[in-house]
Amino acid sequence: MTDKNNIALSVKNLKTFFYTNNRCNKAVNGVSFDVEKGKTLCIVGESGCGKSVTAATIMQLLPTLSRIEEGEIIFRKDDKTVNIEKLEKNGKEMRNIRGSDIAMIFQDPMTALNPVYTVGFQISENLKYHTNLNRKEIREKSISLLNDMGIPLPEKRVDEYPHSYSGGMRQRAMIAMAMACNPKILIADEPTTALDVTIQAQIFELMEKLKEENDTAIILITHDMGVVAELADNVAVMYMGNIVEAGTADDVLRRPTHPYTKALLESVPVLGRGKNQDINPIKGSTPDPYNRPVGCQFAPRCNWQTESCDVMPEITQINKTHQIRCHKYEQFFEKYDEKRNS
Amino acid sequence: MTTYIAQRLIIFFPMLLVISFLVYSGLELSPGDAVSHMISPELASTITAEQLDAMREAYGLNQSFITRYWIWLTSMVQGDMGYSMAGGVAISEIMVKTVPATLELSMVALFFSTILGCSLGVISALKRGSGTDNSLTVAGMAGVSIPEFFFGLVAILLFAIELKWLPVGGRLMPHYETVWDRIPNIVLPSLVLALMMTAGAMRYARSSMLDVLAREFITTARSKGMPEWRVNILHGFRVALTPVVVLIGFRLPLLIGGSTIIEQVYQWPGIGSMFIRSVRASDYPLVMTISLMYVFVVLTASLIIDVLTALIDPRVRLGKE
Repeated sequence: MTDKNNIALSVKNLKTFFYTNNRCNKAVNGVSFDVEKGKTLCIVGESGCGKSVTAATIMQLLPTLSRIEEGEIIFRKDDKTVNIEKLEKNGKEMRNIRGSDIAMIFQDPMTALNPVYTVGFQISENLKYHTNLNRKEIREKSISLLNDMGIPLPEKRVDEYPHSYSGGMRQRAMIAMAMACNPKILIADEPTTALDVTIQAQIFELMEKLKEENDTAIILITHDMGVVAELADNVAVMYMGNIVEAGTADDVLRRPTHPYTKALLESVPVLGRGKNQDINPIKGSTPDPYNRPVGCQFAPRCNWQTESCDVMPEITQINKTHQIRCHKYEQFFEKYDEKRNS
Repeated sequence: MTTYIAQRLIIFFPMLLVISFLVYSGLELSPGDAVSHMISPELASTITAEQLDAMREAYGLNQSFITRYWIWLTSMVQGDMGYSMAGGVAISEIMVKTVPATLELSMVALFFSTILGCSLGVISALKRGSGTDNSLTVAGMAGVSIPEFFFGLVAILLFAIELKWLPVGGRLMPHYETVWDRIPNIVLPSLVLALMMTAGAMRYARSSMLDVLAREFITTARSKGMPEWRVNILHGFRVALTPVVVLIGFRLPLLIGGSTIIEQVYQWPGIGSMFIRSVRASDYPLVMTISLMYVFVVLTASLIIDVLTALIDPRVRLGKE
């Protein structure tokens, strides 16, 4: 299944640290995953667990006080491979990848578009830097992109400013911008958090369509488990800068093995169970990134914590696709087998 | 936009009227009148009350406040600015002499301070926390907080008296023939004025730019793979420009009003120094003309600012379309 030729991007032992006030925040602390062509990888986790930093690292869009400490980001384009982490941050090679091979959609479409330029202008910038189209072709392409995104009257809308677009339309315009050069990888950083549920469904439909038509690999960052169940082919659960559990959507959602994944799933309210349903929020809150637990990062909040958790567990492969970072996964995983057998 | 400008123009004249009345009342409330300033101190002990009254009558100062205001207003509307009470010269003549001097000084200062202020501010913001930024910040704070007259006097002391590079003050000398002869005279006053204005514009441009650079659309622009200059200037500075334009717009009245202090320090024969002299002499017609002109320019400047911000920022829509 994980055929080498199908992998668009692999991240190996990536570490991104932030340095503020002489302290070091290990925001991403040894993350590894592969993204397959035409598949969606969902990265889930609580706020502040390093999801967005992982995305920003892939694009090298990190703020000034942070840097890639270690690890590899290998981007495969046709037969060539590029080590993104070795490219200069805003250098020519990196810029050639940004926006054309790897594109990104941001969380809040209200602030992610420049208010003083027309939507058409902002889409055309992408085409201008990554294609050889002339002005007329660029304009036609911008209009057809808006049309593909389901924006009515694209010939007229292309010359309008973002403030005359609704939130959903702005996110569509963002996607049009990101998809302008048919990227191999689309990184969507919580693309629907700022939108309402019906618009959310439309945006995801659009992303699914694009994925199927263009064979684009999608990295979707979210904390909405419903979205994960709907869209993900593969899931990576992050906690405090580490991936604690990863696998196919089936592996992670049907047989959640890490206590954190379980806790996340249990804390989601289910529509239709009424307002008196039991929701089990995860006790406590994420630890101070400057004052981390010694071993397993989740141990202080875990119901199954033992002395062995004082040592950081290694990643263990449960089966071909399912991997986990927990000392006691066996006892959790066995339960599923018992259930299935009974 | 046209409607908006029309609306503004309609309130323009009532505003001029109200302000002119307020200035006139202010002059009335201040102690002494033009006559009391005309008499030299040597004569003050010998002159009789009757003589003073006769002088007042000759100038029409014995009439009631409202009558005088009315006379002034009606002749002003007809385009007659009257004569200066202190010098007896037609005010239009004074204006013809002083306005070009002030325009010359302020335009040079405004031009250089705008360009310098914006570019230094942007550089400072882009190199935030660097040595360049820190030294520009210190220089900017000094520029904002040191009073102009002090700065002007130090500059005279250093460049005119100690080094003898430039003249101490004044604008024209009898032996000046070409425009080039006049340049040394304008260098010091315009430089001092420009430096003070640069400091403010720079601080403003810096903070506005920093604010914009932290916004999300800058990351979006960068994520499209565009070179840094385009991200910073086209996407960053273009948005950061709005507040800077407002600041510079509010300096437009300087073009006409002149910097009273700098003109005074450098004996620059502009409106600023003329204004000070006329207020001292309770020279009603001159004070009124200059202050009206000032009001006119302030109102025009704010109109220009509104139109400019609407042009720069499409979210600003003026009036109803």
